[in-house]
Amino acid sequence: MLVAQGLYSFARQQIDGHQLAGLDDTAPWGLYIAGFVFFVGASAGSTVIGLTVHGFGRKDYEPLATRAILIGLLSLAAAVTFIAVDVGRIERMLLLPWYWRSTTSMFFYTSITYYLFAAILLAELYYTVRLTRGSTEPRDRWMAKWLAIMAVPFALVVLHAPHGALFAVVKAREFWANPLLPPHFAVVALVSGMALVIPVAIVTSWLKKRELVGMHTLAHMGALLALLIAVTGVLDFFDWLVFAYSDKAAGVAAWDILFGSHLVLSVIHVGGYMAALATLLFVLRFRREWLVPGLVVASAITLLAVAGYRYNLVTVGQAVSLLPVIPVSEYWPSGTEISIAVGIVALTALSYSILTRVLPLEEDAPPRREEPAVSTVRLAPAGEST
Amino acid sequence: MPRYGMVIDLERCMGCRACMEACKVENNTPEGAFWMHVFRFEEGEYPDTKVGFLPRPCQHCENAPCVKVCPVQARYMQDDGVVLTDFKRCIGCRYCIVACPYGVNHFNWTPPEDAYYLDWDDPDVEKVTRGAVPPYDNPDLDEPHGDRGTLVAGGGHYDGTTEKCTFCVQRLEKGLLPACVANCPVDVFSFGDLDDPESAPSQALRSKRAFRLKEELNTEPKVFYTGQPPPGEEIRPIDIVSSTGGQ
Repeated sequence: MLVAQGLYSFARQQIDGHQLAGLDDTAPWGLYIAGFVFFVGASAGSTVIGLTVHGFGRKDYEPLATRAILIGLLSLAAAVTFIAVDVGRIERMLLLPWYWRSTTSMFFYTSITYYLFAAILLAELYYTVRLTRGSTEPRDRWMAKWLAIMAVPFALVVLHAPHGALFAVVKAREFWANPLLPPHFAVVALVSGMALVIPVAIVTSWLKKRELVGMHTLAHMGALLALLIAVTGVLDFFDWLVFAYSDKAAGVAAWDILFGSHLVLSVIHVGGYMAALATLLFVLRFRREWLVPGLVVASAITLLAVAGYRYNLVTVGQAVSLLPVIPVSEYWPSGTEISIAVGIVALTALSYSILTRVLPLEEDAPPRREEPAVSTVRLAPAGEST
Repeated sequence: MPRYGMVIDLERCMGCRACMEACKVENNTPEGAFWMHVFRFEEGEYPDTKVGFLPRPCQHCENAPCVKVCPVQARYMQDDGVVLTDFKRCIGCRYCIVACPYGVNHFNWTPPEDAYYLDWDDPDVEKVTRGAVPPYDNPDLDEPHGDRGTLVAGGGHYDGTTEKCTFCVQRLEKGLLPACVANCPVDVFSFGDLDDPESAPSQALRSKRAFRLKEELNTEPKVFYTGQPPPGEEIRPIDIVSSTGGQ
């Protein structure tokens, strides 16, 4: 139903034009671009599971490997869909990689990386599925391992950090022109990727009525998420600290918007990180029996906080007048935009649901002889099952 | 090869907006699209207030951010320094709009045929005009122009693409001045080759102190302003024009 209503809204937008979106010439980017950046980040961040399995030898993460690759692929597809519904000419957008001389455009550069990243993830999925089906060929294991390891630096450095640069190179926007943005994006990507995989692991275990990963692994994922939130919190703090010292009128105006009309979103962003971090530390340190609900709540809050960050970044940057003589209009998403965005998210969830039924997954595979799990961090009390 | 530029004398401008009207008629821009805009603003505190005007065409920057960010090279600069949009290549990503420090770009949010001021084919309109007023539709706009020989002059104002001032490229090729320059009743604009010391803009630049908008960004606009200091942060805009096109 949600997909159908999204398609209907999209068809209306194609016929009647982008006037149906709440955008105008002073705020030409909105919810679609925020959704695009959010899902690219989630796609990049989900690769951390593959690295954990193959790079750090955490075999207890292996049941999540295929699912994490699927999340990466589908999040990438969702991101591209968001950008497709945003542009005025979809049919021309598909030809974008052919304009190879547009070397100064970050948008051109990021578009190329989607094809490459999708190719890496598809290859990784292929070899992971072969292993799940019982392949014992060393070549399959070697390819799955090195594709998973290679995917992480590619996702963070080649794919997602340039999305930060997409905004950072815009010198006209004081709120965006920040060299810290590309590394900040890479860290937020890891946060959103991990915050997506955790509830997937828990909800899947609940639906299948069998443990996909043990409590120790869940605790390890929670600790990783807490660490990543802390790092992005530090980046946020210094980002805002430096920005607060802006002596330019545009900087002061953006600051006023952040703590004025966008206060709720700013609270969701910063307060969300703090609440998620507090929840994670509490369940990990004091209430291990609440670990599962604690992780679900913390992940959900984290995703909300990341979405708030992305939305604020895109919209506040444009809410400041370029010249004192140019009035700006306050952007809020229209019903059509929300409807299309909900449709894309629903389509992504539906695709995930179908693919996890079609593809062979680790938990359904026949047991293989494996070397014992190597644990580098011991978070669970002694004697607890891994 | 000339390097076209413009000097705008703010001391002369009286805010009549004839330039905006001339631009609309010449380029057939739909409702909500203003390739040339004269911003009107108020400054000072009552009773010591005054009204000021700032005509703002595309600044045709030498180091144009819109050209740099365009992912398909639809936005490009000609050898004569005029920055144009290839309407058959633009994908409508609007990166040029967010990157431009001067807000000169317009996206066709509405299908242009729905955003023209009058539907000249409408029988009710014909009843009023009795065929005496032909539809204004400059045929030059639909012809290929510029270095690339492609549709860069506006034409039918294509749905889902971004557009902006072209310095009236179709007129330049005929040796005419841009419509805004030709129609200003008080000679606010000096237009010509910036590299020619005898050209109108070169002479205007020699006669008065000039500034360019947001020079600190190093975009090197080829539009200069003289006669008044740049509008400060404390000014108050006194009119708002819809930029969504007919909505």
